[in-house]
Amino acid sequence: WLVIAVGLVRAYLAKGSYHSLYYSIEKPLKFFQTGALLEILHCAFGIVPSSVVLTAFQVMSRVFLTWAVTHSVKEVQTEDSVLLFVVAWTITEIIRYSFYTFSLLNHLPYLIKWARYTLFIVLYPMGVSGELLTIYAALPFVRQSGLYSISLPNKYNFSFDYYTFLILIMISYIPIFPQLYFHMLHQRRKVLSHTEEHKKSE
Amino acid sequence: RRHKPSAPEHKRDFAAHGGALSGSHNDTRSFFNFSQLVLSAGHLKSPPVLKHSKVTYFEVEILDVQSKRQICIVDKVPPSSTLLDVKQKFHKACPQWYPSRVGLQLERNGPYLKDSISIQSLAVSSIITLYFTDLGQQVSWTTFFLTEYTGPLLIYLLFYIRLSTIYDQVESTKNFRHPVVHLACFCHCLHYIRHLLETLFVHKLSGGHTPLKNMIQGCAFYWGFTSWIAYYINHPRYTPPSFGHRQVSFAALAFLMCEAGNHFINVALAQQKHSGSKACFPSPTYNPFTWLFLLVSCPNYTYEVGSWISFTVMTQTLPVGIFAFLMVIQMSLWARKKHKLYLKRFYPEVRRKAAMIPIIF
Repeated sequence: WLVIAVGLVRAYLAKGSYHSLYYSIEKPLKFFQTGALLEILHCAFGIVPSSVVLTAFQVMSRVFLTWAVTHSVKEVQTEDSVLLFVVAWTITEIIRYSFYTFSLLNHLPYLIKWARYTLFIVLYPMGVSGELLTIYAALPFVRQSGLYSISLPNKYNFSFDYYTFLILIMISYIPIFPQLYFHMLHQRRKVLSHTEEHKKSE
Repeated sequence: RRHKPSAPEHKRDFAAHGGALSGSHNDTRSFFNFSQLVLSAGHLKSPPVLKHSKVTYFEVEILDVQSKRQICIVDKVPPSSTLLDVKQKFHKACPQWYPSRVGLQLERNGPYLKDSISIQSLAVSSIITLYFTDLGQQVSWTTFFLTEYTGPLLIYLLFYIRLSTIYDQVESTKNFRHPVVHLACFCHCLHYIRHLLETLFVHKLSGGHTPLKNMIQGCAFYWGFTSWIAYYINHPRYTPPSFGHRQVSFAALAFLMCEAGNHFINVALAQQKHSGSKACFPSPTYNPFTWLFLLVSCPNYTYEVGSWISFTVMTQTLPVGIFAFLMVIQMSLWARKKHKLYLKRFYPEVRRKAAMIPIIF
């Protein structure tokens, strides 16, 4: 993710504008975001104590956006909303993985813990906005090209409309986003106040 | 509270004496409680002088599992009563919690105690402490199954009659409907009507209850999937199976056989002479459909899976296939659990049998 961050900065400095930066980090983004699928396996095999369902949910939504929206609908790759969610993801992931690494080394600086449980307040809505705007931008192109859609009649009597599917995904953000956001806020209160008490008792 | 004197003669006199003194009334009563507790706790043998039998009543203290606050005390519980009697008395004291909604545990993280447990077996002293959890709104198993099966029956018929709001009316009236569509409707209705009749007349449902949440989830699954599959089968642009009449006839025959098989297995399971601890593994009768008992420990699941796979082949519709696939997974999980139970209880007979699919699983 640092690779992606550095790539973004370099491209920005080289081009002079922040438009169409997706192309400079397309491959590392795909590689590392898809690699996050391993996290689901870690939970499934019990190496990591998190819930499989929650992790799967989060990783699959990211992978869906990377491949099924941004990669598949080429016309949205020049949108600014792509940069919005890429930046949000990059910063979040750098902090998250540092948090895990330092925790495993039993040497977690308070700054990283604070950053992980505080910066999401800005980054999470930023990422969600970027994602929603990208999906919204992709809609007309999906409708036009009939991407990933099957219509009747066909031998297996099945139909699927990718356009409607994307709209349903956008609607599903409405109940899910507040739940996750308030859960993180609750975690923040628990973790950061616990550390303060710990410090005071020391 | 009036206490029935269960202590020996001299204590009874003392209590009467204590009752007369209004000033020290409470002290005497609490001393009487305490003495009764000590006596019954110590399991002292009653002296042979006693002419009446000693009946120790228990008191059940019910605490809330999370706050540990005392909700109420159920007193005068005879030792021969079961947990269900306690729950009913608790219901009288706190009317909002009817017995099937009450979950009682001995320790805070222990298992929920069964209704049939006798108070005697739980008692360490004359006061028993139990932790209460509200299990939520409950529905009886009969209601659960009736709702779950009536929904798909009606929903499929709504799609079959091609309501104008679902399908385009012009296309619907124009198109010729392949006979397999009518056959599919008949088979689907047959399946659910059979389930409904079995729930009403064949299955011996224990009269237990299940949380309302389970019913809502089950209904959402069945009703949702039925809507999805009915939409495609009854669609004006439905494509009949690739191998034509041969495929349809073969699949329909298999479906009817599986339905009959499922029915006979359910009847055989319900007609078992003994139940509970004396139950034995059902044995095959002269009926050829029950011969699957020789190969498999849960043939009812085998036949159910068979029905849905035949239905998929008959209609050649991918959504039906997806539904059948999910049913296979669900039935396999249930069959595996049941098979493990059977292995424990009926070891020698069940050893060589598979759980659901002969030889394979």
